[in-house]
Amino acid sequence: MRVRFSMNAYSVIAIAAAMAFTTLHADAPATPADVLKARHDHYHALGDANKVIRDQARASKPDFAALEKAAAHIQKASINQQQWFPKGSGPEAGKTRALPEIWTKPAEFAAAMKMFEERAPKLVTAVQSKDVKAINAAFREVGGSCKNCHDNFRAPE
Amino acid sequence: MADGSAPAAIRVRVWDVPTRLVHWLMAAFIATSWWTAETGRLEYHRYSGYVLLGLLIFRIYWGLVGSSSARFAKFVKGPRAIVDYLRGETAPSLGHNPLGALSVIALLLLVLTQIALGLFAVDVDGLESGPLSHLVSFEAGRTCAKLHDFVFDVLLWLIVLHVAAVLFYVIFKKQNLIAAMLHGERTYSQPPASSVTFASATRLIVGVALAAILTWLVARGFELV
Repeated sequence: MRVRFSMNAYSVIAIAAAMAFTTLHADAPATPADVLKARHDHYHALGDANKVIRDQARASKPDFAALEKAAAHIQKASINQQQWFPKGSGPEAGKTRALPEIWTKPAEFAAAMKMFEERAPKLVTAVQSKDVKAINAAFREVGGSCKNCHDNFRAPE
Repeated sequence: MADGSAPAAIRVRVWDVPTRLVHWLMAAFIATSWWTAETGRLEYHRYSGYVLLGLLIFRIYWGLVGSSSARFAKFVKGPRAIVDYLRGETAPSLGHNPLGALSVIALLLLVLTQIALGLFAVDVDGLESGPLSHLVSFEAGRTCAKLHDFVFDVLLWLIVLHVAAVLFYVIFKKQNLIAAMLHGERTYSQPPASSVTFASATRLIVGVALAAILTWLVARGFELV
């Protein structure tokens, strides 16, 4: 006996979507490798946005739309950074430059995160003003907060 | 000498001021670039790179139209000349010997590669980058930075080899190449067959202007306004 399968394209997409949804929202806890990768991707995207600001802020005709998008990304990324550093996601979890001090000195780490969180909105404001000098100044401040945290909580390359 | 008397030392001016100055400034700014990179002073690293770019452009120009002892066409020799030189079958050279020429070319090519990579390199946080980084993606800029790191190690080994070779000449062959690169003169026991033709001051001024303008353009990312 032959069973004839007849599925239209929509049902294929629907099943695929359902499977994808299940995978994404699975209740199984993320593995340390997943946490490390998500964190790496997060900060990589932040580096990408930083580069847009850096490139555009020294262009003779800055692309303000690109600047706004990048500044918004940076501001959003500055919020609740603790979520990227759950307990157990330090060097014991795999290849990472995250130093154990993140978890042994939580108050200092929180202060370093806060510095970025406070400076990022000023970059958004500066970009909105379309004043390149102000953008560069605000970007230097944001960069200083990145460096401050990296100097203390990230292992050298 | 043939008549048995003590060989009279003949001092010949071999290196002109621009060639010597470029040589020592390159050494100084390669050291500066190394130090600023190691200590994370990327802004100054970029400025140091600009100086090196200017020096390199000038040295290439001087290698084409400068004094004869600085010209590539005069000192770069084929494999046969190198073998003859190694066998000791060549008269003392005015300027670079055929083997030393290889070292000069290799060093200049590596410095060129290193500067080219640096122009596009982006640091891991996207906060600092070379003046042409806007032409490439973040990923490509990161790749350039990693290659920039690697090529420097190669350059460093070549510099070690270069210094070792010079010391070999100073110690074992009694030819003080370091002093020659400082005061520009070399001592020969018999007059060399040819002499060095020195380039004019006008050529020098044109070269300095060319190097300065090109470096300024690159440093500005070719943004003219």
